[in-house]
Amino acid sequence: MNHNPQSSDGKHDDDSALSDFLASLMDYTPTIPDELVEHYLSKSGFQSPDVRLIRLVAVATQKFVAEVASDALMHCKARQAAVVKDKRDKQQKDKRLILTMDDLSKSLREYGVNVKHQEYFADSPSTGIDPASREE
Amino acid sequence: MKDGGLENKNELENSKKQSKPYKFYRKSDNFALAIAKVAVAQVCESVGFQSFQHSALETLSDVTARYICTLGKTSNFNANLAGRLESNVFDIIQGLEELESGLGFVGASDVNRCLAHSGVVKDIVHFVGDAADVPFAYDVSRFPVVKERKGMGSFWEKGEEPHGEHIPCWLPAFPDPETYAAQSTARNETMSVSNGVKTGLVRIERKIERPLLNFQQQFARNGNEGGSSPVGGDSGKAREASNSNPYLAAPLHFGEKDVDVSPVILPTKLSNEVASRDPVPENRFVGNQVSVLETFAPAIEAIKSGICEYGSGKKNVLCSQRPTVRFKIGIGKKSLNTTPNFISKNKDLEKIENDNQKDERKRSRIF
Repeated sequence: MNHNPQSSDGKHDDDSALSDFLASLMDYTPTIPDELVEHYLSKSGFQSPDVRLIRLVAVATQKFVAEVASDALMHCKARQAAVVKDKRDKQQKDKRLILTMDDLSKSLREYGVNVKHQEYFADSPSTGIDPASREE
Repeated sequence: MKDGGLENKNELENSKKQSKPYKFYRKSDNFALAIAKVAVAQVCESVGFQSFQHSALETLSDVTARYICTLGKTSNFNANLAGRLESNVFDIIQGLEELESGLGFVGASDVNRCLAHSGVVKDIVHFVGDAADVPFAYDVSRFPVVKERKGMGSFWEKGEEPHGEHIPCWLPAFPDPETYAAQSTARNETMSVSNGVKTGLVRIERKIERPLLNFQQQFARNGNEGGSSPVGGDSGKAREASNSNPYLAAPLHFGEKDVDVSPVILPTKLSNEVASRDPVPENRFVGNQVSVLETFAPAIEAIKSGICEYGSGKKNVLCSQRPTVRFKIGIGKKSLNTTPNFISKNKDLEKIENDNQKDERKRSRIF
């Protein structure tokens, strides 16, 4: 029981940190609009009069999307680096970073979302390969 | 952000054509998905992407929508588990921890952890600190817009007395008597007129339509304004309705409005026959069909007599019994033994042709 006052002080700090953070959320405008978040939350049964909670969900969702997108970007850059190693003269053309299904499925895989395309038979060997390398 | 990833111009055009008649993928929240697509595209741009594939963007926005729904569902569940209806911040944090548990967060293994200083929240705090403040590109109003509907008032609200003691006053009031009184009187009238069951039914339907339409008009009006309109005449309401909305106007009875815009000039023979046959308006259409058959009857008989006499007796009997025009002019052998029934489906044609050929062969064998 002795360390209770200390831990309770610690808890108060954390609580205040949390409430401060929630208050600061109202200053930050997330990219995902509040109306969209509210629509989906009300669709799923979420009920709350507190606007800060909706902001919290919006910020959390934005963080999730940003993480997935940055992982996909890493995959895209890794692939471009591998291509550039083979042909140095293609460096100028491959500057454009495109979000492709391939990269997206790889990054979503780590988050437990399976968006793998079904394998299929194609007419020619060049069907469905990366558009950047197709320009050759 | 530009949208790339399509190899040829042809593919681009095809995808544009295909995107419109995409009947199998119509979701009910298309508007919300469209907004989600814009938001996700903005986030991707802030991360560093310059363009995207359509399918990739759609997938990611769909996943985002599901993420929000899952968060809402989980936090609602946690709140209900704690005996509350409204969620609070700890329910959301628990939901976030559940979603992040796949990848892991700081302090996930700690059994006695407190939700207030959860690793998930700290990650979000870091993210908010680092990320640039990019607001959404468009102004979004609250959606879905809920239309306020004022239902029909109760007995108590209207100030009316319910018809019997068994009806409590807080129930919705009965509709005005005009809406259902006309139905019972119409029934009495049509029973006395013996013009065939079909025409009687047509008349009953017309009489029922009118009061039902009045009732619907009143209901629609009540839905818009609230409260019932004062008791007035049917014709008055109909006129009022037709002035405000042409689609709510009462349907016209046959002969009410003279329409002289038809470019078709009836031949004198047909019009005379119609006048002589039936003065009743409902039978006019039937009368027309019978007279057309009669005008072509000599032509049919000429064709029949020129080819074969087999079964012509049958055909004549059929002609006199059936009032509707079923008309088929055959050419050569194919019209053998065919009744003047217009066959629209090819299958039936083939069937009858086969039957005819079989009959021919049978006859050839016999003779």
